[in-house]
Amino acid sequence: MNHDQAERLLSARLDGERISPRAAAALESHLESCATCRAFERGAYRLREATRFQLAPAVPDLVDEVMAAVSAEAGAERSKVRVLRPSIPSRRRGMLPRLVPLVAALVVGAIVGSLLVGGPWRDPVAESALAAEDVSEGIAAAAVRLDAYQATFAMSERNLSPQVPVRELTMGVWFEAPERFRLDVVDHTAYPDPTTPTDLRLVVDGSDWYSAGPAPCPSATCPTRESVVRNRLPFSTTAPIPTDLVLPLSTFAQPDGIRVLGRGTLLGHQAVRVEVPFERAEALFPFLSLGGDWRPFFARDRVRVWLDERNWFPLRWDVFPAPSAERDAWELRFGMPDESAREAVFSAVALDVDLNVPDGSVFDIPMGADASDQGARPIDLADVSRLAGFEPVAPGRVAGLDRYRVVLPSGGANGTLVAYADGVAYLTLGETRTWDADAPFGPIGLQAEEIPLSGGGVAYFEPATAGAGRRLAIHAAGTDLYLESNLPRAALLAAAAELPVEGLPMPESWRVRQVAGATVQRVPLGGARELVPFPVELPRVLPAGFGVASAEVVEAGARTGVTVYLRDREADAGIGTIRLHLEPATSLPPATSATQSIVRIGDATGRYTPDRAQLEWVRDGLYHSLDAPGLALVDLLAIAGSMGPEPPA
Amino acid sequence: MNDPDPRTLARARDGDLGAFEDLVRQFQGDVWRFAYHVTRDRSLADDVTQEAFLRAFRFLRGFRGDSKFSSWLFRITRNCAMDQIRARNVHFERVTPLSGPTTDPQARVELHAALDAVSAEHREPFLLVEVFGLSYQEAADVLGVRVGTIKSRMHRARRAMMDALEIEEDAR
Repeated sequence: MNHDQAERLLSARLDGERISPRAAAALESHLESCATCRAFERGAYRLREATRFQLAPAVPDLVDEVMAAVSAEAGAERSKVRVLRPSIPSRRRGMLPRLVPLVAALVVGAIVGSLLVGGPWRDPVAESALAAEDVSEGIAAAAVRLDAYQATFAMSERNLSPQVPVRELTMGVWFEAPERFRLDVVDHTAYPDPTTPTDLRLVVDGSDWYSAGPAPCPSATCPTRESVVRNRLPFSTTAPIPTDLVLPLSTFAQPDGIRVLGRGTLLGHQAVRVEVPFERAEALFPFLSLGGDWRPFFARDRVRVWLDERNWFPLRWDVFPAPSAERDAWELRFGMPDESAREAVFSAVALDVDLNVPDGSVFDIPMGADASDQGARPIDLADVSRLAGFEPVAPGRVAGLDRYRVVLPSGGANGTLVAYADGVAYLTLGETRTWDADAPFGPIGLQAEEIPLSGGGVAYFEPATAGAGRRLAIHAAGTDLYLESNLPRAALLAAAAELPVEGLPMPESWRVRQVAGATVQRVPLGGARELVPFPVELPRVLPAGFGVASAEVVEAGARTGVTVYLRDREADAGIGTIRLHLEPATSLPPATSATQSIVRIGDATGRYTPDRAQLEWVRDGLYHSLDAPGLALVDLLAIAGSMGPEPPA
Repeated sequence: MNDPDPRTLARARDGDLGAFEDLVRQFQGDVWRFAYHVTRDRSLADDVTQEAFLRAFRFLRGFRGDSKFSSWLFRITRNCAMDQIRARNVHFERVTPLSGPTTDPQARVELHAALDAVSAEHREPFLLVEVFGLSYQEAADVLGVRVGTIKSRMHRARRAMMDALEIEEDAR
């Protein structure tokens, strides 16, 4: 066998083509004695990596355009749809194609799309396009302006059950800044059998919080469950106000992953239509958790939201099933009928919206229900130092928001909580002088991202979650501060930088801990690279908005590994923390789950464990483990395939 | 590349626009990328993608399933791309750099230069097999050549690309 023949066989084998056993044997014996052909094989793998990682351009979404042309051809549209493509440079940053659809704002798409789904978009007002950043920035700017609001919506829901294919409900929403809110849902469905209607109410008036709805029960008529919270903490996340219904600040804080579909007129308002996956838009569905019966939604269902272009409140939102095999499997699991990706399974449409201050009685809270007490004692700022025992950090304004409430959280003398608000924007500032736990003050984890503040010092940051705002802990000499806000990350960091304290790095007692016989030490990423005798590779491809949050060196006996935590920088929309562990090893550890399967990662053989969403492989003497609760195998493979020694941009 | 659900395909063949939209969603990324690699021009790739799906819709009734749907669609895409190139008399020198932050720009330029260094005859099978994961048979279906031809072109394309990128210089 000569080089040429051997290389042809190698090439075919590399491509997964079948070669005869005799040829394979001849190839092996040739390879043993031929360095040139071995080098060809290695080179071909390197070429494969270079090609696969570098030839993945950002792909535009052309579905709406293609379908416009196709429907015009099919004669499905009587009206002549003229397809033109405005050339709008995309301002989007890069992202993993499978995770986040890449799209420029396609105006034609919006008009045509609505012709297909029957939306209210008759008016092709579309001289200029909006980018996702414009939507995020517009909402953030509007947050401090919106002082009052009232609206009524008609809602319809499909496929609650085979007996109830469609439900009709109405929803009333009232808001007065900063902390008065009411939500009423009235169920108008004519049920075929005796059923407790999904009638809900949520009322918040500053320190009082009330919710009522049918309790879950096995019989046809369920009792109403009422909950009351007194002495509520300002902007409490356990007794929350779903202000995204009024202004979707948390849903659209992060421009990545927002798809701008177009503009038009709805209810007489100039409006922009955008799309996000359901997991990002959950804050627009607060009623789902208030009680009663609701259909389930799939995390990647597409929520299309019409936003008022001046004040940015939602005028309409519809849920369209995700067009994917995973969605089909999910339907089976939940016993749902086959749902078409083109038919909305849920719609909320505004009947009227205005910015007038609601009548005060709207926020009256029914008396009598059993109340729980959060113990937040409202106090005058003048009394704080006397009652708390110290002079708290409490500027008159923070991040452009006015100070409006000061409380002692547990009524005791060990902390203060100062709330700032304007419109639907808020920031709370907690402080204690007696913090002695081995972790940051407030709900901030040990893996939180360390961020240098512009005024000097550092703070530890956690992205927003479904139940909490963006959070920041500052550990300073003699005091510990905790900030939480629905403002964007940059605004929160700027506010922290203005505070008259200098944040210290985590003390050693927080950074170093013993876990199951191993010593875990939090280190800067650069420090990890110096501490371990192997290259710390990082993925070049990550979900949109993700970056390195922190790193740890793990030492157990003679073994040393590195764990890197990657997180969304603004808000966790269900993916969670991506955890990457690297450690010298020549083979995978023994299998631990019956559902594991073998996968190929580049030229390495790896293992996928679905119940932990974990991918493991060994390459160049290094064991790699990659996991993230909210990622599918295809996403994990894309991330794993992009691993290299350079840090992500 | 996965082929579509046969039920979706059957519905699309019967003129169901919704089913066809599902196909567009599933394949637009691959079609666009292939069109881009053939035309080397983003806006041409957009036009080719749209035209390819339009032709696919037109001719779907004639698709008999002799080859995989994805091979059939790629063949249409390639034909559309060739038509566009001929119509616009596009020269391959006019390469629009790709945007996308996931890769090192320098490396990307080099890879594109390497792709330019091989002839279209070798570049196409290389892209179909290496980038789009087609089997030799599927690539042969797309390009209308024999499997043996794909095999030897793949080998020569690899050799030429590696030389252009100066891969494995250590062993030579």
